[in-house]
Amino acid sequence: MRSSQVSQLPNQEQSMQAQRRSLSALWRQSREARAAYLFVLPVFVLFVVFRFGPAIASLVLSFADYEIGGNITFIGLDNYRQLVDDSVFWQSVRVTVVYTAMVMPLTTITALSLALLLTRSLRGVGLFRALFFLPYITSTVMAAIIWLWIYSPTDSGLLNAVVGIADIGPIGWLQDQATVLPALAIMSTWKGFGYSMMIFVAGLLAIPEMYHEAAQIDGATWWQRFTQITLPLLKPIIFFVLVIETIASFQVFDAVYVMTSGGPARGSFTLVYMLYTQGFQYFNFGYASAIGIFLFVAILIIAMIQRRLVGRSES
Amino acid sequence: MISQEGSRSAISSDRTYATRRLGVRRLAGSTLSYLVLVNVSIATLIPFVSMVMLSVSPPGALDLPNLIPSSFTLEHFHNILANASLVRWTTNSLIYSVTSVVLALLLASLAGYAFAKKRFWGRDVMFWSFIAMIMIPAQVTIVPLFILIAEAGGIDTYWGLILPTLANAQAVFLMRQFIMGISDELIDAAKLDGASEFRVYWQIILPLTIPVLATLGIFIFLFHWNDFFWPLLVAQSDETRTLTVGLSTMQARAPSTGFIMAGAAFSFIPNLVIFIALQRYIAQGIALTGFR
Repeated sequence: MRSSQVSQLPNQEQSMQAQRRSLSALWRQSREARAAYLFVLPVFVLFVVFRFGPAIASLVLSFADYEIGGNITFIGLDNYRQLVDDSVFWQSVRVTVVYTAMVMPLTTITALSLALLLTRSLRGVGLFRALFFLPYITSTVMAAIIWLWIYSPTDSGLLNAVVGIADIGPIGWLQDQATVLPALAIMSTWKGFGYSMMIFVAGLLAIPEMYHEAAQIDGATWWQRFTQITLPLLKPIIFFVLVIETIASFQVFDAVYVMTSGGPARGSFTLVYMLYTQGFQYFNFGYASAIGIFLFVAILIIAMIQRRLVGRSES
Repeated sequence: MISQEGSRSAISSDRTYATRRLGVRRLAGSTLSYLVLVNVSIATLIPFVSMVMLSVSPPGALDLPNLIPSSFTLEHFHNILANASLVRWTTNSLIYSVTSVVLALLLASLAGYAFAKKRFWGRDVMFWSFIAMIMIPAQVTIVPLFILIAEAGGIDTYWGLILPTLANAQAVFLMRQFIMGISDELIDAAKLDGASEFRVYWQIILPLTIPVLATLGIFIFLFHWNDFFWPLLVAQSDETRTLTVGLSTMQARAPSTGFIMAGAAFSFIPNLVIFIALQRYIAQGIALTGFR
């Protein structure tokens, strides 16, 4: 198109040259574009097949009944209707929310407090940072195996040996409805706080020293500096950590699978564990997909609420 | 007017008092800080110490709650290493992790280079729709993904295990961000010298991205080595089962505590090696990118 425009110019000689130049530029550009497409192609195909496809299929499946082999029957909103009437589903929602309500503040407060300590000019700070991060890189299965022993219901477990000193127990930490979620939450906090701590450390180190110095000269106390300088400047980081921690706790599965199988009496029956039983034990793929969609929407809404809350207190 | 002399001395005595008070408070503050840090360190380490102590002591030989064994044995580790299934699972985990790292880095850096340095139709739409997929948790799409792999005959195969994990939006994003910082002149110079597009990628871009490749590689390795849900679904037989899934089946069969702890400790060796050798990259990676 461009070359035909060029050829309409009066001077033949010039136009020929321009044409050649623009053609070669075009050729180079198209060669570059072709290379670019080739470079992106493998990732593009993988995304279409393993991300976009399943994301759409998940939505479609939630309106259907599906059997392995390709038998699909569309049943409209039946899966969702069933979900609303399913007391097991509401139990799993309750368990997930309660668990998240424990893990999220526990992790965030632990991580922020330690990050505050670890950004002071103390000796050996690097060593502590590394140490606190160690649980984060363990596999949940390994952590679960260790904590199963710590929480074991007899005196041969660590926790009961400890409380046994005060003549308490032995308590079935994972066998009791009242203690199973706190027990899981403490394990998750142990495993996860190092990550958020690192994020906070990075955020705190990014706050310019001079703000604190200026406030100190003006006679601000530590608490005033914390609430009026550190917290406001850290707000985006806090938002990020809250969202990340909420999403992670909403998706808890590995620990539940290894440690409690959702028990006792569905006392730790989380949403994703329910999704697993429905999808991969009973092969109710449509129903499991509806749970997945619910999970996605719930996470989205919580992230938006958190954004609103953190954003509002800023003004 | 008050004499300048007097007011100055008042200020300076005020200051020495303040600095002395500050010094005392700082000392008290740092002592308290250390106290907290040491206590949290102990709490952090107790599970690890428990695991190690249990794995090297005979049944019932561990004094609780002191965690001091009355005798020592390597029997549990001997049993673990003599367990053929466990060796198989370890091999599978290594295949799963290493293959994924190599392929994911290769594909993500190729795409990241194109997204960062080339103009082509649909580039931005494509890139941002990849990134948007980070918002969708893996569990949401796991049912259709499983069906897809099952229908394609991918259950109990390495490709069924590995292929779906290669669509890694975070990796593509990081590679693009990093490559955008590489100067165009370098690329243009190589092209003027007649280097092919692939050669520019292979000999200019890739060597310059080694720091980010290292960080990303560590995270991808640890993710796969620790991964559980997807391998649980896809790798069902001993032939392809990974170490995490294998350990969980072992745990479910009520093994002796020493034996399963030795298994857990054994599974932690790569994590620990990476942690000690490459700690700097991990810290940098999180601080810079929030990569999880």
